[in-house]
Amino acid sequence: MKRTLPQSVALYSGLLLVFLIIGMPFWWVVSGSVKLPREIIARVPTMFPQSFTTQHFEKLFQSTDFPAYLVNSIGVALFSTIVTVALALPAAYAFFRMRFPGRNALYRLILLAYAFPTIVVLIPIYGLFAKVGLIDTRTSLVIVNIAFALPFSIWMMRSFLSTVPKEIEEAAIIDGAPARVILLRIMAPLIAPGIASVAIFTFIASWTEYLFASVLIVSDARRTVPVGFAGIIGQYQIDWGLLLAGATAATIPVVILFAFVGRWFVSGLTEGAVK
Amino acid sequence: MAGLSLKSVKKRFGNVEVVTGVDLTVENGEFLVFVGPSGCGKSTLLRMIAGLETVSEGRIEIGDKDVTHVDPAKRGIAMVFQTYALYPHMTVATNIGFPLEMAGLPQDEIDRKVAEAAKVLHLEPYLQRKPRELSGGQRQRVAIGRAIVRQPEVFLFDEPLSNLDAELRIQMRLEIARLHQELKSTMVYVTHDQVEAMTLATRIVVLRAGRIEQVGSPLDLYENPDNTFVAGFIGSPRMNFVKVRVVRVAEGFAFVSAEALGLSEIPVRLRGVEPESPPGDVTLGIRPEHFRDGGDGALSGIVSVVERLGGTSYVHAALNDGSQITVESRDPREHQVGRAHTFAFDPDSALLFGGDGKRL
Repeated sequence: MKRTLPQSVALYSGLLLVFLIIGMPFWWVVSGSVKLPREIIARVPTMFPQSFTTQHFEKLFQSTDFPAYLVNSIGVALFSTIVTVALALPAAYAFFRMRFPGRNALYRLILLAYAFPTIVVLIPIYGLFAKVGLIDTRTSLVIVNIAFALPFSIWMMRSFLSTVPKEIEEAAIIDGAPARVILLRIMAPLIAPGIASVAIFTFIASWTEYLFASVLIVSDARRTVPVGFAGIIGQYQIDWGLLLAGATAATIPVVILFAFVGRWFVSGLTEGAVK
Repeated sequence: MAGLSLKSVKKRFGNVEVVTGVDLTVENGEFLVFVGPSGCGKSTLLRMIAGLETVSEGRIEIGDKDVTHVDPAKRGIAMVFQTYALYPHMTVATNIGFPLEMAGLPQDEIDRKVAEAAKVLHLEPYLQRKPRELSGGQRQRVAIGRAIVRQPEVFLFDEPLSNLDAELRIQMRLEIARLHQELKSTMVYVTHDQVEAMTLATRIVVLRAGRIEQVGSPLDLYENPDNTFVAGFIGSPRMNFVKVRVVRVAEGFAFVSAEALGLSEIPVRLRGVEPESPPGDVTLGIRPEHFRDGGDGALSGIVSVVERLGGTSYVHAALNDGSQITVESRDPREHQVGRAHTFAFDPDSALLFGGDGKRL
């Protein structure tokens, strides 16, 4: 269908608006991180940096614990992501394919994990972890992140599995492939976009998780970026340059992740299979 | 290679019985075709043989071995799906070699067998391509390749040509026939296309509503259908059915009349036992190609459409009682739309069906 001029104008203005809403804060943070302090707090804000400095980044990486927080965060987020994907895939396949009593009830029940506000489950979880000696360990964060990401990941992956034509699976069954092989060699490559979505969802959720990280971790050396960084900014005085540099540095692993898994988001993975 | 037998096989989905007790024996090396309209249970039956669908009741044997509850992979079958069902992320060679890999064969043997299959199916230049880089016909050949490398006892085909265009369908039909002659394996083939059934089968099973209507060789079904359903389903264009009345029965013939159509006391040979009294209202079946000038019977009607196919033409006409008939004609010029015409036919090749649809 050919667009008329007003339609095109409306379309592109809409796109521009969305782009500005999403892009502006990001640009503000990134560009601010290389401005001199006086330009950051200038009465008339500057859209494009008039000055350039790396002093905020130098301070961030040399005189704060930010690098340690970054390593902690990357570790926690990566482990949470890997384990979540590794658990969600077989669980989703079981809910999708296997017949067992109470399957549908259980499938709905797992979403109950989201029924409670996190603050409500914080106390029992703290008590539980204290009993098994998990307080002040990064493992505790990994467990919590997995527990909260898994139900949604299972739902998401199951819906991706249901897009794979049944005949492909049946052909594999006739070819003598056991369930494990069907899942890993046939289904998993075909739902790569689903796995990528789950990975990104879990990584970001773990990366930005604040509440549990602030309560379950006690020692400074084990803090993750959101909690550790809140301490850096300062209780009485805000170092805006440091704040913006930290915020910029915190987005880098996520950007790298997107670049890495983005290529999985290709449509038409099953093209040629059944048509 | 082995034969196959189904013993009182039933399939229920909830309370609905979709296959209502099928008994059938397929001889070793036979090409058996299940044919029937949508929802007749032919695909379900095939899927039960494959093991993709459980059997609600009855027994399935492949080569004298009860496989009713055996895993699909251990039944000695291979299946070709309507939708090809190729593994899209694997190359043609990996697709064809996959069942061998699953069977734990060494790689060099897999490569050798894949190469053999590729040669038979003319797929050699495409072995390193992905399915999406192939045409529909090539994809279906890959699916067939994946089936033949396993050297199964029984090949199962679930409407394998339905996704192809008309020309490719004819070509692939020939390839499948050639494959059957070469491999001499038992093949069970499902289709709703009676032309495919007629051209490929050594025996056809006509199914309706989960029940076998008739089993026989293609020509047997064509010439000697047991009922109006089979008579109407086998043959294209379908058989014409005309309501007539039996006025008397004598010496193996029923004499039928239909005043409104201009038929009076036409003798039609009876197949079964001669009924003691005339059965009254019956159906006369005449195939479009059995109309010919000079025949003893004649139906008059008004030509509504003339389909010219080149060598032959189909003339569609409305009879006086409102029913429609299709007549094969060599010369379309003698029929003009809107004009009345008398279509003569040979009563020797006409069939008679009772009020319940069964052949008389």
